[in-house]
Amino acid sequence: MYSSENINCIIADYLKTMWIEVIIMMPLLELVDVKLEMLGKPILDGISFRVNSGDVIGVMGSSGSGKTSTFRIINLLQSPTQGTVFYQSKDTLTYPPTTLRREIGYVFQKTYLFGSTIMENLTYPYQLLQQKPNFQEITDYLNQANLPENIVTKKINELSGGEQQRIALIRSLLIKPKILLLDEVTASLDEENTVIIEKLIRDQNENKNVTILFISHNTKQAERLAQKILYLEKGKVSYYGSKNEYFIEKELQQ
Amino acid sequence: MSDISLVMTFSLVLLALYLSYKDKIGLEKELMISSIRAIVQLTLIGFVLTYVFHWNNYGLTTLILLLMVYNAAAVASKRGQGIYHILRISFASLLASLVVTLGSLLLFGAVNYQPSEVIPIGGMIVGNSMIAAGLVFNSLKEKFQQRREEVEIKLCLGVKPKEASLTIIRDTIKTAMLPTVDSMKTLGIVQLPGMMTGLILAGLPPTAAIKYQIMVAFMLTGAVAITTFLTSYWTYKSFFNEFEQLRQL
Repeated sequence: MYSSENINCIIADYLKTMWIEVIIMMPLLELVDVKLEMLGKPILDGISFRVNSGDVIGVMGSSGSGKTSTFRIINLLQSPTQGTVFYQSKDTLTYPPTTLRREIGYVFQKTYLFGSTIMENLTYPYQLLQQKPNFQEITDYLNQANLPENIVTKKINELSGGEQQRIALIRSLLIKPKILLLDEVTASLDEENTVIIEKLIRDQNENKNVTILFISHNTKQAERLAQKILYLEKGKVSYYGSKNEYFIEKELQQ
Repeated sequence: MSDISLVMTFSLVLLALYLSYKDKIGLEKELMISSIRAIVQLTLIGFVLTYVFHWNNYGLTTLILLLMVYNAAAVASKRGQGIYHILRISFASLLASLVVTLGSLLLFGAVNYQPSEVIPIGGMIVGNSMIAAGLVFNSLKEKFQQRREEVEIKLCLGVKPKEASLTIIRDTIKTAMLPTVDSMKTLGIVQLPGMMTGLILAGLPPTAAIKYQIMVAFMLTGAVAITTFLTSYWTYKSFFNEFEQLRQL
């Protein structure tokens, strides 16, 4: 027979499991009715969507539809005029900005490498996290990104645009973000290198459980990489759901 | 110099006005106002200084120095319109520059706290610091606009605003200090600066005038360095808001 104490324990355990489940079910990132106005012009007009841990979301839409602005707000480079962004159920505005930005990495379309050498850029994340540089980790990433190991000794201006973009991506990965926002990072790469970078991104998602949101104008890339599609139109979400449904719907329309 | 000769020198300002008008530089109004202000202000200060030198009062001397700092701060902050707390920053930096530089000169016994000494010397310190502060504001505004993306990319890596602004701050300090460093290099070769010229014209032997000029060169280097560092490190913060976002200027 169960004593009342035992029953209490069982109930408590059950509740704990439920609670864990609730936590698991909670979205990692959620935008609720996010609006952004700049100089009186609406840029984002009530964007709402949820991102679960481990998602790979292709963000699409014509230029000016609000893709980059959405990323900027998620990364707290800008505050929304209205609405809230929740990261791990907490309003992003309540986080220390540096903490949030380290957890939500953002790689720009335009690359910017600082200092003079590639080594400086790749050891910088460790410096930031107050850790000793892990050269094995750097080498592994360089291999994955199809870059020669001796590239670290090179000066920034000796690299091609595509190589610089890959270094910038690795620099962001070394900070070990939980979410990675990628703004057309393969735009300046050729097909071969695009595939390599896509593999690197997929590896981050599958093996390190990094949640990925990537902006791309390339439908084929979205088809290859994304699990979900977020389609923006004039600052509004016009589609958010599974990739397969999106492409089926698109085919039907044609 | 006769009064008529002085009036005739105004033709040089007219030349500047003509050039500005002819080339559509658009500086005519500012040139006109500036030259009228120079005449009125200098005439007034001539009378005031005669009285102040004669009275030789500590409090009044200090008050005049403070007024100088306030006016200079107001002028310098115009170069940084739109920057938060600009007047406060200018005033505090110029005051610090004056206190440290003039304080050192007093401490070393190079000058005495007498109106006839500290007012002209203070004027030079504040004037040069004002130009340096203006250069800093201008350069910071320009660079934060031009290099917005660079700063934001750094912020995205989880860097604090100070670290993200460091290259801009360093470039700005260089920009603002170079004129002073360059002018020190050419002292005596290209230019015989104001104080020395004044002393020589007043009849002092050039060798004695040189001593003062060397002091002035060192003093101004110190003053400009203090101003550029303080204004740069105080002003960069105004470009960010409480969420460590780069403000729109």
